Amino acid sequence: MIISRWFTRPFKSRLRSGADWFEDRTGATELLHKGLYEAVPKKGGWAYALGSATLALILLQLFSGIFLLLDYVPSVSEAFNSLDYLRTSDGFGAWVRGLHLWGAYTLIFVIGLHMLRTFLSASYKRPRELNWVSGAVLFFLVLGLAITGAMLPWDQAAYWTTTVVTNIPHYIPFIGDGIRTLWRGGDFVGPITLTRTFAIHIWVLPFLLFSLIGAHLYLLRRHGEFGAWVNYDTDPDSDEEKQIGERIRRAEPPYPTKRIERRYAAPRETVPFFPNQLFKDVLLSTLLIAVIFVMGLISGAPLDGAADPATLNYVPTPEWFFLPLDQFLVVAPQNPLIAIGVFGVLGIGAALMLFLPFIDRSHERRPLRRPEVIIPALFMVFTVIFFAVLGINRLYNL
Amino acid sequence: MKQLTRREALTRGTGLGLGLVGVMLSVPAVGFLLSPLFLKQRSSWVTVGPIDGIPVGKPTPLVAEVPVGTGYPTPPVRRVVYVVKKPDGGMLALSNICTHMQCDVHWDPQLGNFLCPCHGGLYDIDGNNVGGPPPQPLPQWVHRTSTDAAGRTILEIENKLNESI
Repeated sequence: MIISRWFTRPFKSRLRSGADWFEDRTGATELLHKGLYEAVPKKGGWAYALGSATLALILLQLFSGIFLLLDYVPSVSEAFNSLDYLRTSDGFGAWVRGLHLWGAYTLIFVIGLHMLRTFLSASYKRPRELNWVSGAVLFFLVLGLAITGAMLPWDQAAYWTTTVVTNIPHYIPFIGDGIRTLWRGGDFVGPITLTRTFAIHIWVLPFLLFSLIGAHLYLLRRHGEFGAWVNYDTDPDSDEEKQIGERIRRAEPPYPTKRIERRYAAPRETVPFFPNQLFKDVLLSTLLIAVIFVMGLISGAPLDGAADPATLNYVPTPEWFFLPLDQFLVVAPQNPLIAIGVFGVLGIGAALMLFLPFIDRSHERRPLRRPEVIIPALFMVFTVIFFAVLGINRLYNL
Repeated sequence: MKQLTRREALTRGTGLGLGLVGVMLSVPAVGFLLSPLFLKQRSSWVTVGPIDGIPVGKPTPLVAEVPVGTGYPTPPVRRVVYVVKKPDGGMLALSNICTHMQCDVHWDPQLGNFLCPCHGGLYDIDGNNVGGPPPQPLPQWVHRTSTDAAGRTILEIENKLNESI
């Protein structure tokens, strides 16, 4: 009865009442408005676009990964053939593989810049400690996805990457050989190794990744996109700044009430997320995706010969983002030293990065005013670059 | 004994149910994950080939089709056996699996060493680690020799190494 009456009304009215009905049942427009018109800092928008670009690139990996799954077979006898078929017989196969590879390269690069930005602007400080921790775990998950993805094509490069990477746990005292056996499904790299790595790459890591992205974005919205020193260049004791503090105290969500923290709870000037920030986000993501689009087409993804465990002249080279780690293996000779070097030094480095907000607890946010964290971090970055240069030199002279 | 309230009983029941589900799911999951640790290696011998023509003092690579020892049956895996004949009449059947990260090493005549291309590990002609990161000498394949009807010496290997690496 109600439906038949609805059909008798003019089209525009039908549309409007239909939209009202949908809004009443779902609250979709309200949700959209909440998302689009959130106040974001006026300053630093281009730097903040790195975060959304990271998300866009992760979604691009999901997208291109689904297409690869349509052809790829995770079996030692079929994996190489299925990708070789994709390359030679499918007009767009090489391009899609190229998108996935160059997407991964770009993602690692951009996620690094995003972390660097967060570090320099000290956005990880109270109350955003867990934003940083979840982001650091996301970074490690992306590295895990990158290395497991490099093992899947089961060409020579993939096979030797698998051999070396699954052998690294061997140097963990007591339990290392057990971990190696569990990952490989036996003492040596074999058929089970590939299916396990595949499962880790397709389900285990993405499941963790997307769950944590949800938490990361929730925390971002809870605490606001503020916190960087660039947004707060005024004297916290000035009248103007005190007024801002008052305004923030009445604002939603409830921001910290300590005056020194209030100063970093909301910036002096804000703009609505749409269209000011969204424009920058979309422009940067479009630019990056265009680079991937072009590089995926003209450079594509390499496929060596099929995996051959009896090779004598193949020189395995790691992916560029693992070159520093690979060089670490070269300079840490002998058994106990490898354990101390790789797991000790890298473990401490990773822990420092993960727990940075709990190590650097000062209120100071300007980079030049906190040399006690900037200098060790620059030293770590320099070490990584130094090892990369050593690695490039070694591979070049081989 | 204190009488349970309805609220307490329901809370305990919920906890008990969740705990039971946890136990039921972990037993097969943990067992499944750990099972490779208790797998027995399938042992089998393969013929590598005649070795009479191999010169003394020159490590020579032979390729054997070695059945995999674990996992479901797949075609045999090609593996390298470096046969090293010693001046004193001894013979080594070295594997070319580097003890550092298990890359394939090869004999480099210019260096007079086995060289690993991955991280620059070096071994001497007897397989002793003499440079770079490898922590132990190259293992040998478990091997034996026999004489065939034509009087040739035939090398056979088992699908395992004489030392764990």
